[in-house]
Amino acid sequence: MHAFGQYVIGGLPFGGIYALAALGLVLIFKTTGVVNFAFGAMATASTLILWSVLQHGGLPFAVAWIVAMAAAMGIGALCEMTLLRRVERSPVLIQIVLTLGLLLVIEGVAGTIWGYAPKAVPRVLTGSPLSVARLLITPNDLFIVGLTVALGLALFAILERTRAGLAMRAIAADRGVAKLMGVRTRRYVTAAWAIGVAISGVAAILVAPTVGLDPSMMDEIGVFAFAAAILGGFGSLAGAVIGGFVIGIGSNLIAAYISTNLQLTLIFAFIIALLYVRPQGLFGVEAVSRQ
Amino acid sequence: MSGIAPREPRVKNRLVVAHKPSDQVVALLTFGAVALCFPAFFGGDSYTMSIATEAVIYALITVTLNLLIGFGGQISLGQAGLVAVGGYAGALIGAHLGGFPFPLEVLAAGLATAVVGFFLGLPTGRLRGHYLAIATLGFGLIVPQVATNWSSLTGARDGLIVNAPQIGSITFGGPVSLYYATLAVAAVAVAALLAILQSSSGRAFAAVRDSEHAAAAMGVNVWRTKVTLFTTSAFFAGVAGDLFVHLEGIVSPDSFPFSLSLFFLAAVVVGGLASIWGSIAGGILLTIVGAKTSGSGGLEPVIIGGTVVLLLLLSPGGLAELPRRLLSGIRGLSLRELSLGRRRISFRGSIRKVRNRA
Repeated sequence: MHAFGQYVIGGLPFGGIYALAALGLVLIFKTTGVVNFAFGAMATASTLILWSVLQHGGLPFAVAWIVAMAAAMGIGALCEMTLLRRVERSPVLIQIVLTLGLLLVIEGVAGTIWGYAPKAVPRVLTGSPLSVARLLITPNDLFIVGLTVALGLALFAILERTRAGLAMRAIAADRGVAKLMGVRTRRYVTAAWAIGVAISGVAAILVAPTVGLDPSMMDEIGVFAFAAAILGGFGSLAGAVIGGFVIGIGSNLIAAYISTNLQLTLIFAFIIALLYVRPQGLFGVEAVSRQ
Repeated sequence: MSGIAPREPRVKNRLVVAHKPSDQVVALLTFGAVALCFPAFFGGDSYTMSIATEAVIYALITVTLNLLIGFGGQISLGQAGLVAVGGYAGALIGAHLGGFPFPLEVLAAGLATAVVGFFLGLPTGRLRGHYLAIATLGFGLIVPQVATNWSSLTGARDGLIVNAPQIGSITFGGPVSLYYATLAVAAVAVAALLAILQSSSGRAFAAVRDSEHAAAAMGVNVWRTKVTLFTTSAFFAGVAGDLFVHLEGIVSPDSFPFSLSLFFLAAVVVGGLASIWGSIAGGILLTIVGAKTSGSGGLEPVIIGGTVVLLLLLSPGGLAELPRRLLSGIRGLSLRELSLGRRRISFRGSIRKVRNRA
């Protein structure tokens, strides 16, 4: 039982990372109806910028982090304004393929600039593991979990309690009507992309020390984040966070008790089975047809 | 908003390109002549021949993916997974049944993959859009992972050695003979696909793509049509998978990364949705791009991804639309065309027009 508890704890940091990545995806999907398949590459690019700032600037980690966040927001906003805006009323297929094309371009550009050799990014917190009821957790892992929950709550508060959040929810409900009501839809859609990519960027910065930073670092993380978002219903922030932790803990348990190489297989088998039974995910309200 | 804007001529708005029968004859003669004569000019160079063989196989896979996406309206980001299943099936047959005739092996690989495609298609009755994209993406990643873990069957990371195809005492070992064997199978497969598209199944695919509700109202069983679509696409992807492992001489989990699925998706977009000939051209073109840029790191994804992004914004019909655009003169490149933001890309067509498509 103690071992089981430790495996659950061990799944928490990756759960937080999947949750953050899924949060970024869900925020963009909620406001624009576009699933950003390029989010992993965008997040990785901003982490590579963080690495460059750390390497060449000699600046503190916090400053590099801020630069990376600004870069992520810039990438998100730029892609929305130049490309995604043009296909906002196109079929889903076109939007998916466009973001996949972006994925290739960004990964390729990142590979050309930074190369494909893995790079080391420092952890946010160092220090020996803390012991709580004989279960061990490192301060860095605790930080990841705390940051995930805090960002999730902050995003929730913004969406539910502020005027900007109201505007975003109005756009999500019906963009045309929101526009008629005087909501500056363009501005908020761009903002959603900027913030969404930045949140995914946080996930990339947090995971980089563990998996090693290279241009395709987020490919596999991204797939788990998709699974988390689907589990959470793809429209729910709380669902994305819970989905992320479920996937993180679940895959750690699979690694511990079944096989380290079958995590993706079993989780996707579960996701496909779940979608078959409950197409709206665990926390989705209803299946809405945009047809 | 857009409701007031005058209707543009359909040809410009269409994502799906309808070919005239005369276009088809031209395409058939062009591809056929080039494909048959190619070894006469480059036959001495085994590297060039292996790229040419790869181009034939990739073109076939692109066509199978276009069957799903362009003709059926069902996205798949895991086509490489189906190719992998076919590849392993073919390799296993070759390894355990020595001297198994090549045409039968190709058929068996196709059938094995069709079974997998059938099960992959089952949930699609309830999945669409992004969910389907992510589910198929997962499938494409699962297949190599299962192959890695099922070492008693697949040899894990070491993979399986694949011998040259043979029929009786004839072995297609050399680069030129392997090219012709591949070309023959691919040609038969494309012909079969064209025949399927002309049949009532093909019309049902298009009907479901254009409107599931309308198709159901016309008596089309939507779910069964989608499952048939996935099974059909999987069959031919499996055939291509068998051809692929014969070219490689080995099959291992690393041969089928996610980027390969993206490559085929890009080829479909470059060639144009719902255009068989466009897909063939797109598959060949991207194979050449890949061969020319191999070893240059990030250049290949940038070129392929960039082409996809630009084509989606500027010429959503892909390459297949290009001759028409060029023929229609300068108007086809007018500034108005470039401002896609105000323009709706239609993914609809009429069932009647399907006969001319393909």
